[in-house]
Amino acid sequence: MTDMTLPPDHRPALGERLRRAASNGRLSAALILLPPALILFTLFVILPLGESGVYAFYDWNGYGAPEDFVGLRNFEQMFGHSVFSVAVANTVKIVAVSLLVQMPLALLLALLIYRQTPTNAVFRLIFFVPYIMAEVAAGLIWSFVFDGNYGVTASIATSLGIEQFFVLADRELAFYAVMVVIVWKYFGFHMMIYIAALQGVPEDQIEAARIEGASRTQIVRHVQVPHIRPAIAVSAFFAIIGALQVFDVIIPLTNGGPSNQTQTIVTYLYEFGLTRLRIGFGSAVGVVLFVVAVLVAVFYQRIFMRKGTA
Amino acid sequence: MAEVRLENITKAFGHVTVIPDLSLTVPDKSFTVLVGPSGCGKSTLLRLIAGLEQPTHGTIRIGDADVTRDEPSKRGISMVFQSYALYPHMSVARNIDFGLRLTKMPAAEREARLAEAARVLALEEYLDRKPSELSGGQRQRVAIGRSIVRNPKVFLFDEPLSNLDAALRTQMRVELAELHQSIDSTMIYVTHDQVEAMTLADQIVVMNRGRIEQIGSPMDLYDTPASVFVAAFIGSPKMNLVSGRALGRPEIATIGIRPEDLEVAESGGLEATTRVVERLGSDTIAYVRVDEVGDLTVRLPGHMRLSGGERLRLHADPARQHHFDADGRRIERVTA
Repeated sequence: MTDMTLPPDHRPALGERLRRAASNGRLSAALILLPPALILFTLFVILPLGESGVYAFYDWNGYGAPEDFVGLRNFEQMFGHSVFSVAVANTVKIVAVSLLVQMPLALLLALLIYRQTPTNAVFRLIFFVPYIMAEVAAGLIWSFVFDGNYGVTASIATSLGIEQFFVLADRELAFYAVMVVIVWKYFGFHMMIYIAALQGVPEDQIEAARIEGASRTQIVRHVQVPHIRPAIAVSAFFAIIGALQVFDVIIPLTNGGPSNQTQTIVTYLYEFGLTRLRIGFGSAVGVVLFVVAVLVAVFYQRIFMRKGTA
Repeated sequence: MAEVRLENITKAFGHVTVIPDLSLTVPDKSFTVLVGPSGCGKSTLLRLIAGLEQPTHGTIRIGDADVTRDEPSKRGISMVFQSYALYPHMSVARNIDFGLRLTKMPAAEREARLAEAARVLALEEYLDRKPSELSGGQRQRVAIGRSIVRNPKVFLFDEPLSNLDAALRTQMRVELAELHQSIDSTMIYVTHDQVEAMTLADQIVVMNRGRIEQIGSPMDLYDTPASVFVAAFIGSPKMNLVSGRALGRPEIATIGIRPEDLEVAESGGLEATTRVVERLGSDTIAYVRVDEVGDLTVRLPGHMRLSGGERLRLHADPARQHHFDADGRRIERVTA
C-alpha cells in the first residue's frame, strides 16, 4: 500500500479543491451569488463599452445598423477640432481647481468642524447640502445667481452703481463661474471624507504635540495631515475622476457656451455627438475619455494608493 | 526648583464636578504617584497640571510661577501618555526630537540631546525605525525619550505601563525608578495599580471621587491607612476588613487585618475553613471562611501544607489591627 501522506506544501489537485469547495458551501455560494452581478455588469458595462469601441470607427447616426466604416476619421476630426482642445483644457482646469482649491478648502473646513459638537453638526449639514442637491437644480440656482438682469450679480451691480454684467455670457468669465459652482457643489463631499478621517486621529497625539510646543498649523501639518493621507489620496482620486466626468452642472448653467468656452470632454461628447446625431463621433470621444479615465485610475492607484503610501 | 502646588483646584465638566476643591503639594525632585480607582479624577488632575484641561477654579504653580492659564508648552512639563502617543509616520529619532525641531534648536545641540536620550534608553539601534516596528517596551522608551530631551522641570506619566504585559511592566518599573534616580527631576505618575504606586513612589496620593484620601510615603500608607478606602486599596492581597461586632469589639465599626498579620494557631483564635489555596513559591495565600465573620485572606510564609476544605485556627495580633469608625476614618489607638 502506498503512503498517501501529502507533504505540507502540497497543493491539492483541482478535483480535490472543487470537491472541498462543494462540501463547505463555497462553490454553491459562488454559483448563486456571482451570476446576477456578472450578468448585470456584462449587459450594462462590458457590452456598451465594447459596442462604443466599435461605433467609434463608423459614421453612424444611431438609426439602423452602422455600415459606413470610416476607420480613424472620427478620432482625426476630434483631435483636429478646436472645441475639443478647449474641452480638454477646461477639463484639465477643473482637475486642477478640484485639487488645488476644492480639496484645500474642504480640508480647512473639515479642520474647523470635525469635532463632534452640536454647532459643528449644523455646519456640516449646511456644507453638505450642495452635494446632496441634484446637479441640474444646482446649475439652475446658480444660473439665477449669475443672471445679469435679476440675479445676485444684478443686485451687486446696482448697489455698486456699475453697469449690469452677464457672467455666464462672458467668454472670459463664464468658465470661472462654472468652476465656482463646481467647487461649491462638491467640496462638501471631500470635507466629509476628511472629517471622518480627522475623527480617527488619536487625540493624545495632538495633545502630545501641544505639549511639545506645536502651533495649530504645525499640528495640522505634522500630525493630522500625515494621519489622514490615505483619505486625502482617496479624495483626490474621486476629485480627478469626477472632474473628468463633469457634465450636468454645466448644461443648465451655460450649455457649453458662450462660443463653446465652457465645454468639457463630456459636454463636448453630448453636444457634438449625441445632439447632432453623430453617434460614431460621440463614441470616439467616449472611447478617449474611457481610456484616459482608466489610465488615470491605474496609475493613480499604483503611485498614490499603494499599501504604505496611502 | 520645580515644586508643583495645586491650590483649591476645582474641575467641573458641565454640571459634573470631577474634582471638588483639591489642594496638593508635590515636592521638588519627588516621585509622586497619584493612585486611585478608575474615575477618581487622577488623570484629570494630571491633565490639569499639564495644561490640557483648565481648572474651573484654583491655581496651579510650578516652581514659583503661576501657570494656571499657561499653554502646556510654556509650563516646563513633558508627558508620557498611556498609549505612548507616538507619531506613526515619523521615525524614532524624529519622534524624539520633534519638539526640539519645533523650537528651532541648533542641529548640533538637538543631535546631542537625541544621542544622549537614545543612549540612556538603549534606543540607539532603533532610531531609524517607525514606531510600528517596535515592541511595546521599546515604544514606551521612545515616549520617555521624547520627554527627556526637552529637559522639563516636571515629568508627567499617565498610566504609562498599563499597555504592557506583566513581565515587561516589572522591567519598565525598574527602568523608571532608575531614570528618576539618574535625572533627579520631579515626576508625577498616575496609575490605578497600587503595586506600581508602592514600588515607585516617594509620595503616594490616594484619590477617591476627586478628593484626596491620604498623602504619605508608601510605608505610611501601608502601616497607617487613614481610611477604610486606603486600607482596602493599598496592599496586595487586600487588607481583610471585618466588622468589629463580629470580632467581639462592637465599639469599633471596622477592623482591618493585613493578610500577613494572620497566623495559624494551635488553639484559640478564629476557626476557619480553607476555600482555595494559592502557592506563590515564597508565600502561600489561603482564602478562608470564618463563621460569623466572613471570608478572609491569609498570607502564610513559604510552602504551607494546606488544601481546600481544611480546618485551621487563625490568630490576629491585636497590636497589628487597624480600627476604623463608622465613617470609615482611622481610630488612633491610645498607647499607655
